[in-house]
Amino acid sequence: MSLFVITYYTLLLAASCLAAYFNKRSWFLLLFSLTLVSFIVGIVGGPSALQSIAIVAGLLALAGMVSFAFREFLVAIASHDLAKELRTAPLTAAFGMFIIFTYAIAGIFAPWIAPHGEAEVIASAFAPADGEMLLGADQLGRDIFSRIIYGTRNSVGLALAATLLAFIIGALAGLLAATKGGWFDQFMGRFADVIMSIPSLIFALLMLSIFGPHIHVIIIAVAVIYAPRVFRLTRAVAGNVVVMDYIEAAKLRGEGTWYLIRREILPNSTAPLVAEFGLEFCFVFLLVAGLSFLGLGIQPPTADWGSMVRENATLISFGDITPLIPAAAIALLTVSVNFVVDWMLHRSSGLKEK
Amino acid sequence: MGDILGLIARRLGLGLVILFVISIIIFFMVELLPGDIAQAVLGQGATEDNLAALREQMGLNKPAIVRYLEWLGGAVTFDFGSSIVTGERVTTLIGERFMNTLFLAAYAAVIAVPFAIVLGVIVALLRNSIFDRVANVLTLTSISSPEFFLGYILILYFAVKWGMFPAISSLSQDMSLGELLYRTFLPALTLVLVVTAHMMRMTRAAIINLLASPYIEMARLKGAPPWKVIVKHALPNAWAPIINVVALNLAYLITGVVLVEVVFVYPGIGQALVDAVSKRDFPVVQACCLIFAATFILLNLAADVGAILTNPRLRHPK
Repeated sequence: MSLFVITYYTLLLAASCLAAYFNKRSWFLLLFSLTLVSFIVGIVGGPSALQSIAIVAGLLALAGMVSFAFREFLVAIASHDLAKELRTAPLTAAFGMFIIFTYAIAGIFAPWIAPHGEAEVIASAFAPADGEMLLGADQLGRDIFSRIIYGTRNSVGLALAATLLAFIIGALAGLLAATKGGWFDQFMGRFADVIMSIPSLIFALLMLSIFGPHIHVIIIAVAVIYAPRVFRLTRAVAGNVVVMDYIEAAKLRGEGTWYLIRREILPNSTAPLVAEFGLEFCFVFLLVAGLSFLGLGIQPPTADWGSMVRENATLISFGDITPLIPAAAIALLTVSVNFVVDWMLHRSSGLKEK
Repeated sequence: MGDILGLIARRLGLGLVILFVISIIIFFMVELLPGDIAQAVLGQGATEDNLAALREQMGLNKPAIVRYLEWLGGAVTFDFGSSIVTGERVTTLIGERFMNTLFLAAYAAVIAVPFAIVLGVIVALLRNSIFDRVANVLTLTSISSPEFFLGYILILYFAVKWGMFPAISSLSQDMSLGELLYRTFLPALTLVLVVTAHMMRMTRAAIINLLASPYIEMARLKGAPPWKVIVKHALPNAWAPIINVVALNLAYLITGVVLVEVVFVYPGIGQALVDAVSKRDFPVVQACCLIFAATFILLNLAADVGAILTNPRLRHPK
């Protein structure tokens, strides 16, 4: 029994007792089951396993504190109405916003943050980390840390562009289909059905094999694949708005289709569309990451998270986790966007699960 | 019973029509190539004679419609022509790999489906407790991670650090089932993690949706014990959404399988597809795409039919 193990169990038990004393039932259950799990893990894995649990708990607490501080910061600088909304945001959503903010900074100011150039060879292949290179060098001797920073710009930028294009096509088609109705609506609906019945990754691979892995091809291919999903949602949301009386009134006033879409339908269906944008971005981002992992995304030497994982994967068989950092960066951004979207959906639908 | 069969037949017909349209898309997309296939394969430096010879060999001189009908006729009998790169028959190239992929997907599904449904029901019952929230965050993380991330993490711990399972799934014909299951454990586990997360969330949503309905409230009010409310009242109505969830996620497995096969160098059809795409081996790409799309449609069809069978209301469309 080392000092660490004793402190670990004392703290955990003390925290559970405190939670029980103050009638925080769920906290007590969580802490006490963690204690029980620790017994088993401690016996199987020894103190080092307990240390990892402690580190994870510490990181979680840190993330919680950062999100809390960030939320307070946003509330302080936002206008009155916005501040009221932000106050209701759960910590997970605040965490998501903080991560998105960080990525945006990293992407925009990449050339100033990264210590070395994107494709600059500065060391021997797979050189270990030192004061000059935070995470060591990759298979060609380029600084991994700098490439991750530049990758933010390239990977996220590409996914964002593709999502935007998919959204513009899908939303426009959906709004038009809802207002026009008739054969146009029918045709677009069937067309969307067909596209959606091809698995997205497979369809993307097909298009890339034909037109070659160029950036514009990727953007257009992804847009074609995801536009039908956006179309479906927009069509459904706008379909509910179109039957309203005020649309009827506008039609009787003699307003054109474009006016109806822009001034009447769109403002009344923004909330679900914004949430959908976040969700679509996650799907697109994962698809693009998968493609570039398969070597069919942005072509080298441009830094890109998916291909970085693939290029350095050999390091994993030596127990090195550096190749996993870009993959973790992908996961972190997707989780964050999902957290924020969850909160927005919850807020816009007023949905309260009982 | 007759109207059910009719309904199912109609769904099947619809599926076939969609598959037909997809085959048109897959075939004619290759026609969109700048130049033609022969040009793309041989590159810029090809002489006119070489081009003409390859065109003759691949039958590119015939009109596109004729070639499409020939290709479709072959595809129906599982004959997809021969590979441009190696000249092998596509069927021999991907036949065995397709079996391997099916094995991997089935392996993952057998573990994931019961596991996810039980967990989903438990989480739905414990909703809004701290366990539900922890499960929510965990499943969300698992869904949001790219498959290769999960795969490499499993390799790092189970294969490299603890040495429990092989990192690369090399299969051979004469392996016993136990050996096979052991060798393919890590790729299957990766798929299980992804699919379980999806399935759990969908099962939870379906059950919660159901528990909010008035007849469940009634059962509770008349004093039925909680397990009875779940097993006798909720579950019979929950089958439809659960079957839907299962089929949808099995369809999802198809996409996931491509990345997982590449991570674990698993000899499956996904790996074949990726190789063919980078070599621009169009007959193989077309064949793989058609197989994936057909499986996808089949599973979606199974979801529809399952929903119709378990929910009588769907049999009488308004």
